[in-house]
Amino acid sequence: MSCMHNTKKVAKWEIKRNLKSKSFIIGLFLTPLIFLAFLLLPELFSSDDEPATTTVYVNDQLGVYEQLEAAAANTEWNMELTNSTPQEAEEALEEGTDAAYIFIGEQSVESGTVPVYTNDETSDAFMDEVQQLGGPLQMVQIEQLGLTAEEAGTVAQGIVFEDASNEPEQAGLFSEAMLERVVPGAFAAVVMLSIVFTGMAIFQSASQEKKDKIAEIILSSLTPAELMQGKIIGYFVLGLIQVVVYVLIALPVLIWRIDVPIIEYLFVPELLVLLLIAILGYLLYAAIFVGIGATMADISTAGNFQGMVMMLPFSPFLFIGPVFSDPSGIWAQIGSYIPFTAPGVLIMRLSLLEEWPWMEIVIATAILAISVWVFMKLAGKIFKIGILMYGKNATPGEIWKWVRT
Amino acid sequence: METMLTVEGLGKSFKDKQIISNISFEVKQGEIMALLGPNGAGKSTTIRNIMGIMYPDEGAITFRNSTNNEIPRNKIGYLPEERGLYKNVKVMDILLYLAELKDYPLNRAKQRALEYLKKFGLEGKDNVSVEELSKGMGQKVQFIASILHEPELLILDEPFSGLDPVSQELFKDEIRSLAKNGTAILLSSHQMNLVEEMADRLFLIHRGTKVISGSLSEVKKEYANFKCTIHGSNSHQVLESLPEVERIEHSEEAAVLYLSKRVQPAIWLRNLPEQLDVQELSIDRISLHEIFIDIATDKNLLKEAGELHA
Repeated sequence: MSCMHNTKKVAKWEIKRNLKSKSFIIGLFLTPLIFLAFLLLPELFSSDDEPATTTVYVNDQLGVYEQLEAAAANTEWNMELTNSTPQEAEEALEEGTDAAYIFIGEQSVESGTVPVYTNDETSDAFMDEVQQLGGPLQMVQIEQLGLTAEEAGTVAQGIVFEDASNEPEQAGLFSEAMLERVVPGAFAAVVMLSIVFTGMAIFQSASQEKKDKIAEIILSSLTPAELMQGKIIGYFVLGLIQVVVYVLIALPVLIWRIDVPIIEYLFVPELLVLLLIAILGYLLYAAIFVGIGATMADISTAGNFQGMVMMLPFSPFLFIGPVFSDPSGIWAQIGSYIPFTAPGVLIMRLSLLEEWPWMEIVIATAILAISVWVFMKLAGKIFKIGILMYGKNATPGEIWKWVRT
Repeated sequence: METMLTVEGLGKSFKDKQIISNISFEVKQGEIMALLGPNGAGKSTTIRNIMGIMYPDEGAITFRNSTNNEIPRNKIGYLPEERGLYKNVKVMDILLYLAELKDYPLNRAKQRALEYLKKFGLEGKDNVSVEELSKGMGQKVQFIASILHEPELLILDEPFSGLDPVSQELFKDEIRSLAKNGTAILLSSHQMNLVEEMADRLFLIHRGTKVISGSLSEVKKEYANFKCTIHGSNSHQVLESLPEVERIEHSEEAAVLYLSKRVQPAIWLRNLPEQLDVQELSIDRISLHEIFIDIATDKNLLKEAGELHA
């Protein structure tokens, strides 16, 4: 009880200290802004974004202009009748405005092709959109063949190749159904990355405490375990603050830009499982950070061993390729059972898979939870001795000895 | 006076090397107990064992008012030898944090912090970042942090190291006044001259074991024999023929005569021969400083005294 009391004081101090530091505050707001910038910049630079108002000049020899206008109702065109010849059209197009010329005559109906003149400035989507004008012209073709209105109607309906399987649409990453699964996963990933990246400062906090030689003063008031737990909890809260800032800045923008009911997709029961995995992941990495931080006199003198251990949170990235290409494959399964890669791999897999492999999830989460417990114990042993060892970095051999005691 | 801290038969070794062995002493309310010894004698190890930062291999440490052997951390003030402060925080913030860790009421801590900052010439520095302080200022802030929560027992490991003489006096005065108000103080130092004038009792440690202990006057009476310094040109034979002389340090112009324990200065002075060339003469006890140097350099002045005593 008194243990929790001291832990809370340390946590509060770490939170307060960081919230008062300029660099933390800048980072707090900069990360979501950078994230948004990366998300939105490509969109800003692409011309697809601007509504393309193509001026479409129609030379109509058949008197179907009104039907054509009706067929093009859902385009952004600005349609006009014209009497220009193809030569005049080409000259006019050289001026370089977003325009197109369409020539409709008897020949079009006979051959089934309509000559269209465009230039570089014509919207990229134009050639797709212009196909919509086929309908009215087909009607003219059918009339000329002398079919009854009913027969004409059947023929004019055309033939559609319909996807008869139950899969709703092709499963691209941003299809509607996919987003429904990706949204909670992506949120869990943002939560985990935020708390893990914020948590990396635990490492600095522990080694700074040694460098500033305040550890012994602090430890005259509380136990090493309380100090360690206080740091882990403190940086967890700081990570959550980062998540809140993320949500406040990025979510409105995402809702505005992406036409998907994000909130509705987000608050599903599955989110709880994903968040549990994210938090376990944080605790595992935090134990590693705090333990390793305590073995180092100075960050700039970090040895290879410490550097490698610091890279562990990035290990799930190794599995991105295999997991995305086969979310239930052997690599995805292996990644789920290795505690260091499990948090990232599980979140990736569960974002991609439609049917969750519950058995695997339970086993992987259990392995992760046990690892958290083991690593907390180890970190405690390392922290207790390391935090008071001044002036030099501990060697892997020394660390091993502390762990065995 | 109540005993605040009792250390009995404390021993600690690293690997096969015995760092301290059989260390026993106590610290009473309102007294200054000095733990003395050269660098590496085992002073900090002793203190770290008391503070629970290390665990002793043998012996017992008892605090007053402590149940089931727990260290009453909130009642102890500790200034470690290896000390520092967080760099990028304000002076007042860190003082209040350290007081909060001791469960000391915050508004009272704040008021006391301001008083002490003023007392130590750091008025107006409460809102300054620690990294802007000079080394001496930082030491003062650390000292304030160790006494802010009104500890019953104050443990100071080399409190004077790195301080200028003015600050040393400031610290000494404050330590004295704390003791007068009832704080039990355990003070370690290798600067004997600083401690000599303020300690009530002392415990001299060398190579991890006790060399001398007792109240300051006892120790002086026991170990600090008289020595007589004579300026003047006297031959070695003349000086050697003087009674009660155990050892002579002779230079051209002056000689230091170390006298035996049983010497009575007045009688000894009266019996000095008339032909002795005396330009200047002084007689005083060997200082703790000299005893200390003796021990640290393994001369045997003290040993002689000790053997004679035995």
